[in-house]
Amino acid sequence: MTPDLKKKLEDCQKKKDEYLAGWQRARADFLNYKKEEMERIKEILKYGNENLISKILPILDNFEKAEKEIPDDKKNDKLLEGILQIKTQFQDFLKNQGIEEIKTTGEKFDPNFQEVVEEVEAKDKESGTIIEETQKGYTIHGKVVRPAKVKISK
Amino acid sequence: MPKILGIDLGTTFSAMAVVEAGQPKIIENKEGGRTTPSVVTLAKNLERLVGITARRQQITNPQNTIFSIKRLMGRRYSDPEIQRDKKLLPYQIKESSDGGVEVKMGDKWYKPPEISAMILQKLKIDAEEKLGEKIDEAIVTCPAYFDDSQRKATKVAGEIAGFKVGRVINEPTAAALAYGLTKKGEKKIVVYDFGGGTFDISILDAGPDTVEVKATGGDTHLGGDDFDQRVMDWIVGEFKKEQGIDLSKDPLALQRIKEAAERAKIELSTTLETEINLPFITSDAAGPKHLYYKLGRAKLEDLVSDYISKSIELVKQTLKEAKLNPKDVEEIVLVGGQTRMPKIQEEIKNLFAKEPCKEINPDEVVAIGAAIQAGILQGEVKEVLLLDVTPLSLGIETLGGVDTVLIPKNTTIPTGKTQIFSTAADNQPSVEIHVLQGERPMAADNKTLGRFMLNGIPPSPRGIPQIEVTFDIDANGILNVTAKDKATSKAQSIRIEGSIGISKEEIEKMKKEAELHAAQDQKKQELIEAKNLADNLIYTTEKTLRETGDKISPDSKKEIEEKIEALKKVKDSDNIEEIKNKTSELSLAIQKIGAELYKTPGEKKEEGPQAEEGEYKEKK
Repeated sequence: MTPDLKKKLEDCQKKKDEYLAGWQRARADFLNYKKEEMERIKEILKYGNENLISKILPILDNFEKAEKEIPDDKKNDKLLEGILQIKTQFQDFLKNQGIEEIKTTGEKFDPNFQEVVEEVEAKDKESGTIIEETQKGYTIHGKVVRPAKVKISK
Repeated sequence: MPKILGIDLGTTFSAMAVVEAGQPKIIENKEGGRTTPSVVTLAKNLERLVGITARRQQITNPQNTIFSIKRLMGRRYSDPEIQRDKKLLPYQIKESSDGGVEVKMGDKWYKPPEISAMILQKLKIDAEEKLGEKIDEAIVTCPAYFDDSQRKATKVAGEIAGFKVGRVINEPTAAALAYGLTKKGEKKIVVYDFGGGTFDISILDAGPDTVEVKATGGDTHLGGDDFDQRVMDWIVGEFKKEQGIDLSKDPLALQRIKEAAERAKIELSTTLETEINLPFITSDAAGPKHLYYKLGRAKLEDLVSDYISKSIELVKQTLKEAKLNPKDVEEIVLVGGQTRMPKIQEEIKNLFAKEPCKEINPDEVVAIGAAIQAGILQGEVKEVLLLDVTPLSLGIETLGGVDTVLIPKNTTIPTGKTQIFSTAADNQPSVEIHVLQGERPMAADNKTLGRFMLNGIPPSPRGIPQIEVTFDIDANGILNVTAKDKATSKAQSIRIEGSIGISKEEIEKMKKEAELHAAQDQKKQELIEAKNLADNLIYTTEKTLRETGDKISPDSKKEIEEKIEALKKVKDSDNIEEIKNKTSELSLAIQKIGAELYKTPGEKKEEGPQAEEGEYKEKK
């Protein structure tokens, strides 16, 4: 064999080995990917509703805003009672989906769960205590869907 | 092989990606977000917060919450940009001993790279946790107009964060890489980057070996946030007109309006009209007040039209600087969430008379490009392994003129698919393989790529022969179609070149036509299916009558023959309801034959010995 051919043969063999290794690796990557995909699917099934729920929450917020506005003299009105029962139905439904309210008033501010909208003077409270909740926050299976909006003491 | 992280270090948001199994993938942060706000703070309890947690307490701590640090990276204090930004930023900025910039957080002064490093560090930690391995190297992106000292500052930030920064690449270059635009030949590319807070235009001359930045332009203080503001102003204005109340004075109401404005803007990119529904927005002596407005896409476009025109003007200016005409530009890439707006896409299409690249999530495309660059450097992404996809579906024509798809659009190639087909008529001696490309359900509406015949099929009833049709596309897009008769092993094939080399314009046109005609095409398809079903039913019924006619009562036989005639009459019409009705009538009639055939004569139920009533007597 001429040196030229010999070199060509060597190059070809090198390429062959490289391509075979690449092919095996691609096959392995594919099989590993399939395994990871099953894990991902499990995650999606667990938290799949998160997006939908976060879009529904403003509706519940508005129910709660409405409730706050009921004047004292109307608190026993049967019609309002009925409507508030619907609100309770909504809340119970969310609970069944694994949605929980984030604790706020009285707790220490935690940016992992709450967002500050205002700082207020509160002489008798330690700095960074949650004084008021302006919007409820929720978690789904422990993961924050939406942080609570709170006012904290200076 | 240790992974290299690709990081888009943005002014308002950052993102990271990595190449896994040859494919770039965005990595979520610890909170589950695909992007991380570029915000750092020293909380009141002296805890350092980065990202969304820093943003959540921004209001309590404006002087110690550092955002948009990118605006200060690598600049001199005397820079007019710095002087301008100083007035807008609520945290303290001073001149450092070497003429640079320093910001105050807590009671310490930091150089901008140190702040950026904190952001990068959070990304590093979150990525290591998600991937389960240590990451020591990263590619970080920066704007194309960054000078040497700004690029150095970016590299230093990476090093402080614990990375070896292999390269700092330009954001527009990363975007071009993400779309694979640097693979073949020299191309003139315009990258239109409309993010949350800044607008950047870059004109690139890109090829497989180098990417050159010919010109840059934009507005460092124009972004999607400005669009939100316009919608907010409109809402507040309308309410003031109608109810006489100025909601801009009410911080809580304003916060709700801000969120609703951003949501509405985003929705109007996919719908023509949306609602802004905010009950109990405020109250006065007369009681609670509610806000409800409908906002149409046209109105939104009107509210922000000057911003959009300005952006197009800036593009034109930048083109002039690069001494180019819009028609010289071969590719346009869209980056940044705001480019999702249909009006912006339309204006760009009008200016350049071509479709921009927009399939990749515009918030993520730069990080993806950075990851691809990392992959290329590592050799994980060999040029030869950057694969194409079939832009349009490939199939063959089947009974009734329908296009049966074998390889759907967007399938990565090389790939192959095999499916078994059969004959439509008894004793059919050959089949014609008509290869089609396109998205419409009917063969006649799609593009013919080729045709050939397979002969010598042995005589058989229809539906019996097994013709194996294989579509095989190699990495160069060459399509080989083979038809093989499994009985005789006779085969015939055709080779078609350029099945993927179709222009973007043609692809868009075909896809749009498919959408436009979707409803019509669906009806046509249903009609064809009904006809095929009718044909099949007639065929099998007549066959059954021939084979078992003597076992069926003459009355049933007559009824079935009548139903067959009735169906035959309507099946060639276009009245799908009639066809469906007559088909089910025949079907019901046939079920009777089935019942009769199972009750063969001579097998009558015989009376068995009757059980007699008797007393039980114990045997003694």
